[in-house]
Amino acid sequence: MATIATTRVAPQRRVRGLPVLVNALVNAKTLLGAGAFYAFFIALIVGFLYPSISQINIGAYLGSSAVSGLVGTGGVKITNFSTFSTLIAIELYGAFYGLIFGSIVAYIAGSALPLTIENGTLDLALARPFSRTRYYLELWGAALIASVVLCLLTLLSIWVCTLFVKDANINWQWLTVTQLIEMAFLVFSVGLGMLFGSFLNASRAAGGAAVGIIFLAYFMNTFGSLSNNFNWLLRIEPFYYAPGIQAFLTHDFTQWHPWVLIGVGLLCGLAGLAIFNRRDLPTT
Amino acid sequence: MKNVGASVIEIDQLTKTYGAVQAVRGISLRVEQGEIFGFLGPNGAGKTTTIRCMLDVIRPTSGAVRVLGLDAQHDRQALHQRIGYLPGDVRLPGEMTGKQVLNYFSQLQGLQPVLRDELVARFDVELKRPLKGYSKGMRQKIGIVLAFMCDPDLLILDEPTSGLDPLLQKTFNEFLLEEQARGKTVFMSSHIMSDVEKVCQRVAVIRRGELVTVERVEALREKAGQRITVEFAPDASVPVTELERVVGVSDVTLSKGSYHMSMSGPMDALIKALSRHEVLRLHVEEAPLEEVFLKFYEDVPTQQVKVDSVSR
Repeated sequence: MATIATTRVAPQRRVRGLPVLVNALVNAKTLLGAGAFYAFFIALIVGFLYPSISQINIGAYLGSSAVSGLVGTGGVKITNFSTFSTLIAIELYGAFYGLIFGSIVAYIAGSALPLTIENGTLDLALARPFSRTRYYLELWGAALIASVVLCLLTLLSIWVCTLFVKDANINWQWLTVTQLIEMAFLVFSVGLGMLFGSFLNASRAAGGAAVGIIFLAYFMNTFGSLSNNFNWLLRIEPFYYAPGIQAFLTHDFTQWHPWVLIGVGLLCGLAGLAIFNRRDLPTT
Repeated sequence: MKNVGASVIEIDQLTKTYGAVQAVRGISLRVEQGEIFGFLGPNGAGKTTTIRCMLDVIRPTSGAVRVLGLDAQHDRQALHQRIGYLPGDVRLPGEMTGKQVLNYFSQLQGLQPVLRDELVARFDVELKRPLKGYSKGMRQKIGIVLAFMCDPDLLILDEPTSGLDPLLQKTFNEFLLEEQARGKTVFMSSHIMSDVEKVCQRVAVIRRGELVTVERVEALREKAGQRITVEFAPDASVPVTELERVVGVSDVTLSKGSYHMSMSGPMDALIKALSRHEVLRLHVEEAPLEEVFLKFYEDVPTQQVKVDSVSR
């Protein structure tokens, strides 16, 4: 039987790196894969169907307030539905972007911390010289990196489309601006998820609660677009502050709107950090 | 180097409440450097809560916890550099392999796992497969390696031999004693009395959140006394009351011609009492410590708390 050496070398310090961040990204790989799939699927479908769709007059359908509310055009009056840019904007950068990708990153962020309670690694990690603040910030960082990855994958999927769509005529500068606006929405979603994850112990509950808020906001956005009487609903939900479709199609948007999302996202995340630093952690 | 006498763990009036439930009620104890200290109690007594307060995973409602001379809450970073911890229920991410888990936690520790390979060999730890296929015992072995691999000064172990087979329990107990000989301090909770008896110098018993006793194991052993069985010649007529009158004798019963009794203290009076009759057989054995512990678990009023001197 092996025995432990009687003379021991004192353990040397080793480079820590960002172990919690890396581990959280590994845990999020399935959801990130799903996000990548949606991005490529939507972009490629639009690319493949574009020649046929461009021949159809769907302006009356998409121009109605009910449908534009569902799509989330942000009040933009779209006049020309036959360009590739318009279709990709409607399919990717309407409210769907926030709904799909916002939900994905909100779930990733919301479940990140409770997942480590469930798999038993949080106790073991915090029994080491690793502060709660750093632990939380690394998880937050991982969710933000996941958001950046999804944004880059969206751009990549559109670029792939332009390889086979004739006359795509994408304005890459404004597409980048649009993507940054949507990134602001993802920052908000991540902050929201981190907040729920800071006080809920079950990963599905925390991730699900954050996704639930995103869906609730989407419904508010939909109803708020139906009538001027409901306009106040738009002011208090996040989709209103992510005018990606407006920026992409009209090259104009209210510049302080995305900052509202970033600000609220940061506030939510910091509130979660304060809660996590103060709370007792459960055994299960 | 051993520095016997310095307190490694100092808990003063620790209280932890969850709403109306008092999980720990004003417990105070000291653990000295170089000792293996047993922390015993039935399920839900407050053992794990106390341990988690020591690690700052949960915060005390009141009271103070100092470990290695540092405040458990405010100096946790410096403190945790020197602590090895084994949780009561070792749960690990199923998709990671044992090797990945050990690497991950040594990264979090910020130290090279200098004892990892030796511990892996000694406890025969499987490292290559994903952890989701591991049995409780296999996970427990990983947990042991995680606790010891960076050669910490203080080990806080919550039910360390839970799930281990008897051979590995023996190996682990031997290892603990070797670590103690190197000056390491061990604070361990356990349900396995035989383990506690083998390795611990002192034990604390906690029940319903309150400390029932802190005793040296030798003192408990003395309290436990001996179990004695006596068989007299068939013509000898010895009344039970005669034996009950002997100093130190209690619980005398007569069964199938043999007298069974418990004995504490010197045996001289009993030997003299027995010598007045013809004795065919006399059997003396140490009473198991388990009985003493169980008495503490069951019916000792908490007012009778006796905190042993910290001198060893």
